[in-house]
Amino acid sequence: MSFLKKSQIKSPWLLHFDCGSCNGCDIETLACLTPVYDIERFGIVNVGNPRHADVLIVTGTVNPRNAVILKNLYDQMPTPKLVIAVGACGCTGGVFREAPNVLGGVDKIIPVDVYVPGCPAKPEAIMDAVVAGLGKLKGILEGSK
Amino acid sequence: MLDAYIGVLVLWPLVAGLLCLVLRSPGARKALVLLTSAALAVCAVGLASQTPFTANPNFLASEGTLKVAEALAIVFPAYFLLRGLMEKHALVIIFSCLQLALAIWGMMNMNEPQTVQNAVVCDGLSVTLALVVAIIGSLIAIFAIPYMQHHEDHLKLAKSKQPAFFLVLLAFLGFMNGMALSNDLRVFEACFEATTLCSFLLIGHDNTPVARQSAFRALWMNALGGVFLHSGVLLVQKQFGVVDIHAVVNPALWTGASMLPVALIVAAGCVKAAQMPFQKWLLGAMVAPTPVSALLHSSTMVKAGVFLCLRFSPVLTNTTIGAILALSGAFTFFAGSAMSLGQSNAKKVLAYSTIANLGLIIVCAGIGTPVAVAAGIVLLAVHAATKGLLFLCVGDMEQTIGSRDLEDLRGMVGKSPVTALAACAGALGMVLPPMGMLVGKWATIEAAKSNPVVMALILLGSALAVVCWVRFAGTLMSGKPLPTPEKAHHSSPLTNMPLMTMLACAIGLGMAAPWIDALMLPNADAASVFTTGWGLMPPLFIVCLLAWMVGMKVLGRQTAVPQASPYMGGLPSAEPGTFVGALGKNWALTEGNEYATEIFGESGWTKFAGTLAGLLLLAMVGGAFI
Amino acid sequence: MNLTTFYLAVAGLILAPLVGGLVSGVDRVVTARLQSRLGPPLLQPFYDVGKLMSKIIAPASHWQGMFVRWALVASLAADVVLFAGGDVLMCFFIQAASASFVAMGAFSGSSPYSKLGAQRELFQMLCYEPIFLVSVLCMAKAAGGFDANTIMNAGAQPLLYKMPFIIPGLVFVLLVKMRKSPFDLSACHHGHQELVRGVFTDFAGRDFALLEVAHWADVVVILWICSFLWATGPLQMVVVALVALFVIILIDNVSARLTWRHMVKVAAPLTFVLAFANLMWLYLE
Repeated sequence: MSFLKKSQIKSPWLLHFDCGSCNGCDIETLACLTPVYDIERFGIVNVGNPRHADVLIVTGTVNPRNAVILKNLYDQMPTPKLVIAVGACGCTGGVFREAPNVLGGVDKIIPVDVYVPGCPAKPEAIMDAVVAGLGKLKGILEGSK
Repeated sequence: MLDAYIGVLVLWPLVAGLLCLVLRSPGARKALVLLTSAALAVCAVGLASQTPFTANPNFLASEGTLKVAEALAIVFPAYFLLRGLMEKHALVIIFSCLQLALAIWGMMNMNEPQTVQNAVVCDGLSVTLALVVAIIGSLIAIFAIPYMQHHEDHLKLAKSKQPAFFLVLLAFLGFMNGMALSNDLRVFEACFEATTLCSFLLIGHDNTPVARQSAFRALWMNALGGVFLHSGVLLVQKQFGVVDIHAVVNPALWTGASMLPVALIVAAGCVKAAQMPFQKWLLGAMVAPTPVSALLHSSTMVKAGVFLCLRFSPVLTNTTIGAILALSGAFTFFAGSAMSLGQSNAKKVLAYSTIANLGLIIVCAGIGTPVAVAAGIVLLAVHAATKGLLFLCVGDMEQTIGSRDLEDLRGMVGKSPVTALAACAGALGMVLPPMGMLVGKWATIEAAKSNPVVMALILLGSALAVVCWVRFAGTLMSGKPLPTPEKAHHSSPLTNMPLMTMLACAIGLGMAAPWIDALMLPNADAASVFTTGWGLMPPLFIVCLLAWMVGMKVLGRQTAVPQASPYMGGLPSAEPGTFVGALGKNWALTEGNEYATEIFGESGWTKFAGTLAGLLLLAMVGGAFI
Repeated sequence: MNLTTFYLAVAGLILAPLVGGLVSGVDRVVTARLQSRLGPPLLQPFYDVGKLMSKIIAPASHWQGMFVRWALVASLAADVVLFAGGDVLMCFFIQAASASFVAMGAFSGSSPYSKLGAQRELFQMLCYEPIFLVSVLCMAKAAGGFDANTIMNAGAQPLLYKMPFIIPGLVFVLLVKMRKSPFDLSACHHGHQELVRGVFTDFAGRDFALLEVAHWADVVVILWICSFLWATGPLQMVVVALVALFVIILIDNVSARLTWRHMVKVAAPLTFVLAFANLMWLYLE
């Protein structure tokens, strides 16, 4: 595997988007950065700009207002890109899925690579999801030569 | 042959101007201006190929010419006085009266000075100024043909004032050449006063109240300069009985003598070069049509001032006056750069930057060593081309969009790409290596190594200038991305030709700087130029060329692919310059530069810097008594 | 120009970005340790650049690629000049050209944050340039010449003894130039959001990777010039550079960001005056 491809696995930069979360999953996501979990071990950096990001982490339900933004952020990311839906709401819409203003989970708008269940999702689970996503990416890269 | 060249350079512009006045038809005017430009350029190059030389053309050396020069020393102030009385402008009246009194007193009391051996002595400095005037000045005159047509169409004048305008414009070039080449202080002074007259007439050309006010401000300041110059010249005559410029600037002459005349002459140069606290006349000059301000700022008028200082620089080496002059030049460079940073009016940015860069040349004159003077000459030439280019670009853009505010010029690269990119090249050429301005600045810093205050002031000014010019270029490049560039508003070949030639001059001179520098140095120093930092430049040009090629390749690649939608904090953007926000509507996006006016505001700096610079100038004249 | 100079220049071209990348890796590890984290691998910056190189993304403006490459060339040219023992002032002017091109690229971008970042970048340049150059003047005065070789061979006594007051200035310049808190106003070193990383908003993919390489080259130049302060031998110089790096990381970790107004009005004038006083002292001595 070439250095450039290997780099893609070793340097995933995250973009964290709070779609309509209660902030529970957001707190858990940010907890990954703390010394306890130290997500930077994997070369992961939390960036604030879709143009620099490789992995989009979305928490919360999607509604008509933020669906456009979610789609736009996804489109602005460079390829190849991963999407991780975090928490029950991100995966399916959670307890809010029947609400009149809720469209449902993230996958209603953009393709999702990894789902992280939980309400809120645990930091370990989120990190696991990133690693799983990278595994998937690795498979794609190896397949593409 | 030399005499013929000099004759064309000095006299033909005046003749051509008079023909413009007589013939009046636009076609004849166009032909005359083009012919004059070509003739001037050819003759200046012809002169340059013979430099250094001395000559004694009859029309400059004869008894009659000297009589005319002496008569002009009375005629010009008398005319100024007349205009001052008509306008009831107290300062103009006072200073022109003083000039008159000095001239008459000189006529009555001065003995006939020694005959000047050579009426024309042409060295590197003279020929540089002559080339700048002949080439840059001519390009501006060509640019003026379509510009003034457009300008008068816009003003809807009943009777065209262009014949008179071109008379003054062309005569101006002739007088500048006369000043560059003449070796007789009296002829020099007549030309110096003639440029004052020309600039007064050109600034006041539109005859609006603002134009008149600016013209009279320019007049009184330059009349004051004339008083300095004339009293300096009279003192020189009185002390030594010599009016031969090259004899006067011999340091051996001045050992033990009072330096007051030199201080006065140099002060006259500072006024002419719009150094603080006399910067206001140059700022006021911006009300005139663009070719005028381009001419005043780049190739004529202000260059006369620095030319005078550089001419006297051998006398200034290692003197108190020289040290104070260098200090005041460095201070003007710093203050001018700071004030240009706080401006959003594009022409004022240019004006303050001109003042600043002339300050830098004055520093070179004040240091006075051959290395510093050579750097000063490089700066003089490169600045003329670069600033001329910038003025023409801004003038052209102003006619395109009807505003000269930098905020309105945002994204000009989409509206008139050629002009905007030329302006960007000019702006970056002002501050980035390996172009001549930056290298000249660097050489000045190293030449000033015995004077820490001067060095520090230049460094501060240089940082301010970088910010100012990169922001200027960046603003032209930024803005709403347009899918296809609109067709240029007016693409007369007479607009584009001078612009493109000027661009070529600016880049070419910028790159040729090390070689110009070597040419300007005495032989002993010239050999060592390329072992010092100047030698870094040629390899840097090669690097630049490579970078240019790589950059163009990438530009081509990126132009071919569709662009990404702008990042607006995640909000989508349906049209350029807008974002989809609340209520699902398209909201317009407004952008603006930070001018930090709380720090670099014009009024505060004018007071503070004007006072300080005035004190420095006084100290310089006072330094002559120490 | 002799052959040694040529070899040194080539070494500068190749080594400087590599060393700069390592410095950046050390920086990230040390920062992590200071925060009692494990941190990324030492070579993480190289992986980051490799990853960015292999990304596919549409440019925000077709001018940016050009400006990025010009910036990279200018940064590398500054390295080469310094390695070959050239004029330090000119070396820094060339580096300023690199920073100018970055700002130009940001100006020509499409995002408003990018233009805001460009303005901040320019005000940062306004602040650090004179201070750094006055420090260089101090070194040049004490050593008797402006080129790197003369300054490095200035004598047995380290230059630091003669110029203690330029230290605050150099620290300020390093903080700004290495994009560290409290003056990380335009391009914060850490992953942050629109305002404090504005200048990089529109650069992405390969362009961004090349900018990172240019930044490494810049850091090497600045650290090296700082190490002139104790140029009694190569080892001492490396130690000075490492100490400077550690001080910068420490300050980064213990301070909060200040505003650009504070930088322009307080921090920069203060450190400039100190450095200038040192210069005057050297001249009056």
